[in-house]
Amino acid sequence: MRAAIAVEGIVKRYGSRVALAGVTVDVGPGEIVGLLGPNGAGKSTLLSILATVLVADAGTATVAGHRLPAQARAARHVLGLVPQQTAVYPTLTAAENLRFFARMQGLDGTAAAAAARRALALIGLEARADEPVWRFSGGMRRRLNLACGVLHEPRVLLLDEPTVGVDPQSRERIFAAVEALARAGAAILYSTHDMEEAQRLAGRIVLLDRGHIAAAGTGAELVAAARLTPRLHLRTTRALRGDWLANVSGARALDGTGSEALVEITETAGVAGVLRAAADAGGDVLELVLHRPSLADVFFALTGHGLRDDESPAAAAR
Amino acid sequence: MLAALGAAIAKDLRLLGRDRAGLVFLSLAPVLVITVAGFSLAGLFGAAPGGTSAYVLPVADEDGGRLGRALRSGLAGEPGIEVRPVANRDAARALVRGGVAGTALVIPPGVSAALLDGQPASLLLYTDPVKYLEVANVRALVQEARRRVEASAHSRARHRLVEARHGARAARRRFERSARALRQAVDGLAAQLAAARTDTERRLAALRSETDAALRAAAARRAAAARARLAAELAPLHQFLDDLTARQRAFADWLTEARARAGRFADRLPPPPAPPSVPPAVAALAAADAKTLAERLLPAEETALEVPHVTLPPPPSLPALDFPASPELPAARLPGSLDVVEASVTGAPARLNAFDQNVPGFSVTFLLLGMLLGVSLGLLDERDWGTLARLRAMPAPFAATLVAKLLARFLVGLVQMIALFAVGRLVFGVSLGPEPWALLLPTAGIVFAATAFGLVVAGMARSRDAVLPVGSIAIVTMAAAGGCWWPLELEPAWMRQAALALPTTWAMRAYNDLMIRREYLAAAFEPTAVLLAYGAAYLLLGLVLFRRHTLGHV
Repeated sequence: MRAAIAVEGIVKRYGSRVALAGVTVDVGPGEIVGLLGPNGAGKSTLLSILATVLVADAGTATVAGHRLPAQARAARHVLGLVPQQTAVYPTLTAAENLRFFARMQGLDGTAAAAAARRALALIGLEARADEPVWRFSGGMRRRLNLACGVLHEPRVLLLDEPTVGVDPQSRERIFAAVEALARAGAAILYSTHDMEEAQRLAGRIVLLDRGHIAAAGTGAELVAAARLTPRLHLRTTRALRGDWLANVSGARALDGTGSEALVEITETAGVAGVLRAAADAGGDVLELVLHRPSLADVFFALTGHGLRDDESPAAAAR
Repeated sequence: MLAALGAAIAKDLRLLGRDRAGLVFLSLAPVLVITVAGFSLAGLFGAAPGGTSAYVLPVADEDGGRLGRALRSGLAGEPGIEVRPVANRDAARALVRGGVAGTALVIPPGVSAALLDGQPASLLLYTDPVKYLEVANVRALVQEARRRVEASAHSRARHRLVEARHGARAARRRFERSARALRQAVDGLAAQLAAARTDTERRLAALRSETDAALRAAAARRAAAARARLAAELAPLHQFLDDLTARQRAFADWLTEARARAGRFADRLPPPPAPPSVPPAVAALAAADAKTLAERLLPAEETALEVPHVTLPPPPSLPALDFPASPELPAARLPGSLDVVEASVTGAPARLNAFDQNVPGFSVTFLLLGMLLGVSLGLLDERDWGTLARLRAMPAPFAATLVAKLLARFLVGLVQMIALFAVGRLVFGVSLGPEPWALLLPTAGIVFAATAFGLVVAGMARSRDAVLPVGSIAIVTMAAAGGCWWPLELEPAWMRQAALALPTTWAMRAYNDLMIRREYLAAAFEPTAVLLAYGAAYLLLGLVLFRRHTLGHV
């Protein structure tokens, strides 16, 4: 199957700072690919290149078979962009916004009106279609923002953190809409900070860090590839002695202070052995928490816990 | 409480200190406004009106007389004026129309002669009503020169008059002395004449009495002589009559005796013959006494001879001494009055309606506000909202989107200007010139330039907050220095030259030409072309800046 989005060896620099250092990604029709990464990882830059707003310094990018930037104009007919900002006109109504963007997508008046109605239905804003956007809640604006990007039923959809700051109901509605679009055959590249969101929506996840792809695959593949182990957090009636895990294979004490202990286990089957060892050590277990490795753990494992405040394009521009 | 207050104040000061745009607005913008306004309005507060150069004043002396020389000489001494002699009024008018001068002075032929003859005369001052400060300054200087010339002529005339008055007063005093002497002499002659008359009348009366007496005596003597002669003449008659009477009585006695003697025969006696009767006249004559007869017979004039009454002729009337109050003053004419008549070179009223300047000026100012802030904030808003990025990812060419945005603003600006001019016309009675539709040319030009400049501001201002200081500085500079708030002529010469770099200057030039100078369409061609050129340049610059600074941040 030919990829609707194909990026290979893309490089983009802002002055001396490298935002993308040879990134390769592809997204097939009907596929949702999550784009994860800390601030400054290059997610928005990659989306901007694919949206034909920026031009890469090196590498190739094609959207629905249209090579960028040479065929950017043709690509724009088939791609939809949902920017991180709620890119709508606050003083226009929802319907006016939709009709305008539909016309700018090349639809004629009738088709634009029909597309606006469809989009309103998709995001559940039919009843508020004629209200000015400035009266909308953050969630409604986010939904409208999504609707403006999918008016023309794009074959390629680029979403840049489309659920920032929205209420759970709106988030669910956005998820449903994105999934519906994917089912309809759109190739979707979904940029987010939210691991849960990425795991929920994306068939594949691409983890970007400092312009490089740190990892790529399904959520499980990423977790597995990271070789992370489950951890147990124990709280006992009294402090356990230092060698209480000596006879338990596949378990290793990571930390222990007083009556609390953090234990790494190679597999969840080892939990029973840990409990027995604690009891043998004279500590009745008051509380036990099993923490399985998650995408977030993979994220932090790959990108670290250090802040990235100085690595965004805006910071680079300063 | 106080600690919280202090912390809040410190916080706000810190916020302000870190707001670079706000600080620029607080400091640089007012300094710039003060600078522009200060230089522009310096002329109002005593600075040299023309800045470093004096006003050019073409002077056409068609009279060629003393007045022209005096005026030119007087004006030449004014540091604010550069007198430029020209051949005639057409040349003077051409210099004003061409913008070289704001005024031109014409000394019409015959003015000097008229003034010397005491007739009123007028100078002609051609004016460009737009340059009313220059006109006011030159008018004041011309009036001052005129006043000096007039004052000098009046002074000379007064001097001559004073001398003539002195001479007249002396002549009058001499005349009055002569008149008094003559009056006294005449008064003496009258008295003498009265005395002579009285004496003559007295003498005449005496003479008359004497004559009368002499005449009476002579008449009495003649009457006495006549009576005597008459008595002598009548004496025989009297004798005869007496004798007759005696005889008649003797006859009667005789008869009586005869009858008595005739006794009884007396009756038979025949009647005696009647004695002759005495004619009554003779009887009367005889009966009259000599005096009466003399009075009757003597001619009356001889009896009542009167001395002819001698009436003295009236004394000769003395000539009435009706002296004039004073002798006529010698003729001493004051020079005639000299005034200055103003005429606009374009036939427009010399006095302009202030709204003819203010309506276009402030319309352009608010156009700039609307365009610069509207276009730049609109574009920056679109950038901040993310709609620019969304539009750039759409098939419609982004340039077309941008042009559409500018075109929409252009149309809004055009409608705004037309509406403001309509209000100006209806409410303030501003002139729209002989061809009102010609105003559309500079209006389209300045709206285009302002719209495109809005793009420049959008490209220069990195953020929405920066638009206000950048925009306000640009608007204030363009409006103030470009002649929107006050006529360009208020500004010093160097500033007027510098203002040519501003589109507002060209727009106001066109509006002034069409509305105040009442010129025709052709006057708007050059300013409109310049405005369109500025607009095109701004558009190009704005696109470059906008792409580089604004779109780069998308």
